[in-house]
Amino acid sequence: MAPDTDQLIQSLAKSVRPVRPLSCPWLRVAGWLALATPYMAMVVFAMSPRGDLAAKMSDWHFVIEQLAALATGLTAGLAAFASVVPGYCRKIIIAPMVPLAIWLATLGEGCVADWLRWGPEGLSLRPDWLCLPAIVLVGAVPAMVMVVMLRRGAPLTPHVTTALGALAAAGLGNFGLRLFHPQDASLMVLVWQFGTIFALSVLAGCVGRFILDWRALLRATRAKIAG
Amino acid sequence: MTLNDENLAALMRATQAGDTRAYTQLLKIITPPLRLIIRRQRRFLQSDQIEDLVQDVLLSVHAVRATYDPDRPFMPWVMAITRNRLADGARRYMRRAEHEVAVEKFPVTFSGDEANMEGEEYGDPEALRHALRELPPRQREAIKMLKLREMSLKEASAASGMSIGALKISVHRGIAALRKVLAKS
Repeated sequence: MAPDTDQLIQSLAKSVRPVRPLSCPWLRVAGWLALATPYMAMVVFAMSPRGDLAAKMSDWHFVIEQLAALATGLTAGLAAFASVVPGYCRKIIIAPMVPLAIWLATLGEGCVADWLRWGPEGLSLRPDWLCLPAIVLVGAVPAMVMVVMLRRGAPLTPHVTTALGALAAAGLGNFGLRLFHPQDASLMVLVWQFGTIFALSVLAGCVGRFILDWRALLRATRAKIAG
Repeated sequence: MTLNDENLAALMRATQAGDTRAYTQLLKIITPPLRLIIRRQRRFLQSDQIEDLVQDVLLSVHAVRATYDPDRPFMPWVMAITRNRLADGARRYMRRAEHEVAVEKFPVTFSGDEANMEGEEYGDPEALRHALRELPPRQREAIKMLKLREMSLKEASAASGMSIGALKISVHRGIAALRKVLAKS
């Protein structure tokens, strides 16, 4: 064994402290949700839930969209947590695509229904600038908790992991948003809400290496060993 | 203890509990196969560069040891880290190479000869020849081709069978070694 490597092994062994192994990704999603839900509920009540919420609960279209948004958030969270565990099956990364496809299909079906019912008028697009800050507001704490939790893992695929993390937080944010924001026209939801989620995920994916980086992690490890 | 996954997993579990002896034993067991794997995948690198990569993997294993699930096999976990670190290293190398400009001749700073003499000639050719002979064969060959025969990187790569990256590294290391030897003499 080369003397340097032997020396490194001695230093690593000397600095080893007990660590709590990370829970499995499903349990971590449950923990994340447990921290995010009270905050989301607080925001929804602070913004006051929409007046027709009880009636909306019997609208299957609304219910499916909400369930798909929630499932997208949860499966994206699961995939993000799995992606920071070395040796975990990479196929799980595509898990959010299923609820995402259902969500998109429901919105698409809604667009077609609106067009059939009201003609071109049903597909009119108006500015709705509330969506972006509202999704960011509802998803802020879930996103921060997500970052802290992801940084406990290995930065194997920083861009993909942060994009999935953002998708999880934004999906949850959108779920909360629709409980107080009465915007149900499918095209508006597709463009303003889904578009916001897509943009936030892409943006987070682009800055992935600033959030999850081997070099920063190893620098901190070297400092700990030296200290 | 041998390279049996159950034994290694037991050592890793003890490591997560903070057992220094188990950790030393674990790292000593996994280092030779890691070195072998890295050497097989990075045949063009020299032994000190291979050792740098081995150390990088060991440090990475240490940094993310909490991600090991005690109920899962150990070697796939280590191998996933190794593959990721090797790929990351290759990506960084490619990025560096993309921004690197190979300069055959440095531009002169002033037209006067005195201003451009420094570093171009060495006063004791015999000592330089002797120092060159002391270099490892790949470094010596790289310096001879690129610096003495003034071949381009492409030509030297075709003549020696070494990659352009390996040639650049060999020249860089060779010159550093020459500098050290000549400074001593």
